[in-house]
Amino acid sequence: MKHSKYWIGAGVLSLSVLSACGSGGGDSSSGGDGGGGEEENYEPDSSLEIVAPAGAGGGWDTVARSAAEGLEEEGIVDQGIGVVNREGGGGANGWSYIHNQEGNPEYSFVASPPLLLVPLNGQSEYSYEDFTPLSNMIADYGAFAVTEDSEWDDLNDLFDDMKENPDDITVVGESSPGSMDHMQFAKIAAGAGVDPSSIKYVSAQDGSALTNLLNGQADVYSTGITETVEQVRAGDVKVLGITAEERLEGDTVSEFPTATEQGIEETFVNWRGFLGPPNMSDAEIAYYEETFKELSESDYWQETRQSYAWEENYMDSEEFEEFLAEEEESMQDLLDEVGIDRGGE
Amino acid sequence: MFRSANKIVSMILIVIAIFYLYLAFQIPAFATGVFTASTMPKAAGFLLILLSIFLFFIKEGESEEDQEKRREAGQHVFYLGGVAVMILLYITLLEPVGFILASTVFIFLCSLFMGYRRHIVNAVTSVVFPLSLYLVFTQLLNISLPPGILPL
Amino acid sequence: MGTFDGILSGLSVAFSVQGMLFVLIGVFAGTFIGMMPGLGPISAIAIMIPLTYNMEPTVALVLMAGVYYGAVFGGSTSSILLNAPGISGTVATAFDGYPMAQNGQAGKALAIAAISSFAGGTVSVVLLMLFAPLLASVAIVFGPPEYFALMLLGLTAIASLSDGSTIKALISAVLGLMFVTIGMDSQTGTTRFTFNNSNLLEGIDFLVIALGLFAIAEICNLIVNRKKTIKNQGNIGSLKLSKQDFKEMSGPMSRQSFLGFILGVLPGAGATIASFIGYITEKKIAKRPEEFGKGAVKGIAAPETANNAATSGAFVPLLSLGIPGSGTTAVLLGALLVLNVPPGPLLIEEQPDLFWGVIISMYIGNVFLLILNLPLIPYIAKVLLIPRPMLISLVIMFSMIGVYSISFSTFDLYLLLAFGVIGYLMKLYNFPAAPLILAFILGGMMEESFRQAMTIANDDLTVFFTRPIALSMLIVALLSFLVPIIRQKKTTSV
Repeated sequence: MKHSKYWIGAGVLSLSVLSACGSGGGDSSSGGDGGGGEEENYEPDSSLEIVAPAGAGGGWDTVARSAAEGLEEEGIVDQGIGVVNREGGGGANGWSYIHNQEGNPEYSFVASPPLLLVPLNGQSEYSYEDFTPLSNMIADYGAFAVTEDSEWDDLNDLFDDMKENPDDITVVGESSPGSMDHMQFAKIAAGAGVDPSSIKYVSAQDGSALTNLLNGQADVYSTGITETVEQVRAGDVKVLGITAEERLEGDTVSEFPTATEQGIEETFVNWRGFLGPPNMSDAEIAYYEETFKELSESDYWQETRQSYAWEENYMDSEEFEEFLAEEEESMQDLLDEVGIDRGGE
Repeated sequence: MFRSANKIVSMILIVIAIFYLYLAFQIPAFATGVFTASTMPKAAGFLLILLSIFLFFIKEGESEEDQEKRREAGQHVFYLGGVAVMILLYITLLEPVGFILASTVFIFLCSLFMGYRRHIVNAVTSVVFPLSLYLVFTQLLNISLPPGILPL
Repeated sequence: MGTFDGILSGLSVAFSVQGMLFVLIGVFAGTFIGMMPGLGPISAIAIMIPLTYNMEPTVALVLMAGVYYGAVFGGSTSSILLNAPGISGTVATAFDGYPMAQNGQAGKALAIAAISSFAGGTVSVVLLMLFAPLLASVAIVFGPPEYFALMLLGLTAIASLSDGSTIKALISAVLGLMFVTIGMDSQTGTTRFTFNNSNLLEGIDFLVIALGLFAIAEICNLIVNRKKTIKNQGNIGSLKLSKQDFKEMSGPMSRQSFLGFILGVLPGAGATIASFIGYITEKKIAKRPEEFGKGAVKGIAAPETANNAATSGAFVPLLSLGIPGSGTTAVLLGALLVLNVPPGPLLIEEQPDLFWGVIISMYIGNVFLLILNLPLIPYIAKVLLIPRPMLISLVIMFSMIGVYSISFSTFDLYLLLAFGVIGYLMKLYNFPAAPLILAFILGGMMEESFRQAMTIANDDLTVFFTRPIALSMLIVALLSFLVPIIRQKKTTSV
């Protein structure tokens, strides 16, 4: 059934369950009457269009919509903003759409680690280098959960067992092998000395990842932090470690130990930012940097971050580009170690 | 017709199955286990060949009705093909020309081609339906349809 | 707050002016969106999310739940009238609904669908209310081995889905299996049969296949027969159901309310699978299975009861565990997060007013749906009075736009046309389309759960025999495959 195939989108954001549903109509509302900018700086002369390269209701869609809503509500953008869903190919369709908009600076799209992972897996011909990084907005982190009665109490317990009997331990996640949930686990495990290619990873969609953890079919659940909070509060699962550098703030999440504090010097950031078509001018980039910076500092965005448990992580275009380059390299190395080489870029 | 339609269909299916199997054998295996990404495709491909062979040999007399059905379809192949071509054009023009215009032209011409002779009713319908659908989708449901060349 | 207080405050929310108003808006919008081919409950809920931003969480969830089951309720209309399934959960409804409508009994078909939907919706809400916390443990019983057994059990019914040649039915099913392998393989991420086309990476959408094989193929039929005057054409018939009809419906309605609900509870199964399994089981146990596919009362009642029951069932893992068992409930879960109601195992305990408010609103919603839909039937069925040439153009346009609104890509429209051609050829050469559809929907999940089970068990096939639920389903599957063959042998030898 097709709906269960949206797994690339599925691991995409911390709210991977959210996007596990890829299908569905998209929608957009391009309002705005346009308006000219008389200043020398770039000012869009028609309404902006933010593309979510996935279906309505998914993770990218959520970021795109809350950003659009925030930019309008806070009066940061007057020209009007439309959100358009360009679904398909785990993002590839949306990316090729934006790539064709060279010279149309009104267009941008929401991105996260799959923008790096999908091309590396050979599933899209465009990589981040084919776009103009505008701004990164937020960061989110992965969590590794086990059932409450599990014998492991911290990541080192788990990884020690894994080194000895990798075949006995099943790791479950929503996304496909080589994508988010798999790679975040592989990265931390590798940091602890586990051979990444020995990890037994099963991909399960439509809520069955958590189900399989709870019924004992799987031993470890690799997911986003948000998904684990309620389960931890109910006492059904415990979180062995999260992929953030430092502990997060918040009621339950502050109890989640980081991998770093357990002596594993690895992190994994699920970043969320905006990129535009290739070869945008400096003035255009500056316009977006300013716009997104303002959004990032707004009350609206602060509230949004809180309700989704996202961390503030603004980067301007240059920082974002450097960050992407580093991330891509580390992902490529990791994929090689995991033993997935699909001839991607 | 050839001896029996089943035999022809069976041959075509075998060709499809072989092509499918050829592709299935090229699926790279990333997993080390016994069951990989190509297991089910291979099983399905061989199953199709097997079933097609059965189909080739079964003596299933076709009723008059079935043959009549195909004969009739043959007579209307011009109309079937014509509508298919219109659909193709409709799809191709949908995004560049826009939903409203493409649908209006499609409904009018297709109904005409199918033998609808009340031109005024036809014209009204072919304008009213796409227009109201467009408004419902874009205004009520917030789903964008291609506006195309109309200044909307 | 105790359960009793929870029910009381739930009642007060559901029966408040605001609560009633939003149930009404929800089910009305849902019915309408469900009727449109292509637009399904996921789109319906996604459309509603922006409206709920500043709403009280209970009211917002009441609205979105209403849209959800409203869409499942309304989805049957276009299946019955045009053979163009409104949503994937109502594909099975077309099997008997469309033939009945073609026999000049469109009114009756729609009435059966509405009443069975109401029954399935209402009985399942009772089950949801009584057993939601208990069933939470049922929702997680199924692991990959159980899902595999369940899907296999469904597939064994393929031969029984057609009246003609068994070989042809099996070939059609194998074609379904082949179509479902197109796309990225979930367990390895390998692409299969995509020809490097990114449009195929996520596989072919179920609705593209269903609309192609049913709606577009039927259009071809209409083109060929456009000038023939067919008796009963445009005849809507009476809405009235006879005592006999009610008697026929009562069996499927009572059984499928339970079965559909349970399947809805299982993450991953959902309304579509429930409707197919409901249809198959009723055909299997029917005294006159040969009537199925030709406009049988039971053939409409079964899937319509099951899909609506499954819809309520899907709320069990969502509300009691915070597990979204389907794409639609995943969007609902996202919406809940936006409303600052994190769904999880503590939701019923901590927010009993929300839980009970939604449940009670579902009773009201189902009543609204029934009284909204029944009087509308004669008007909706007037669609059939549209002259053939015009109907042909309009159905094509509706199917096109429905598919376009799923993916916003014209590629899927070409696919739709291709499946229309395949479907028509299958019709001409007497290959039944239902097995293809069934294999497509069950086969994908069957392969996935089989491979998951094998990875977890390190390729040890005994997992299927050591787990009681999986084993018993496999035994039933084997029996349902063998018994008809043995019975046939006996009757021929006697």
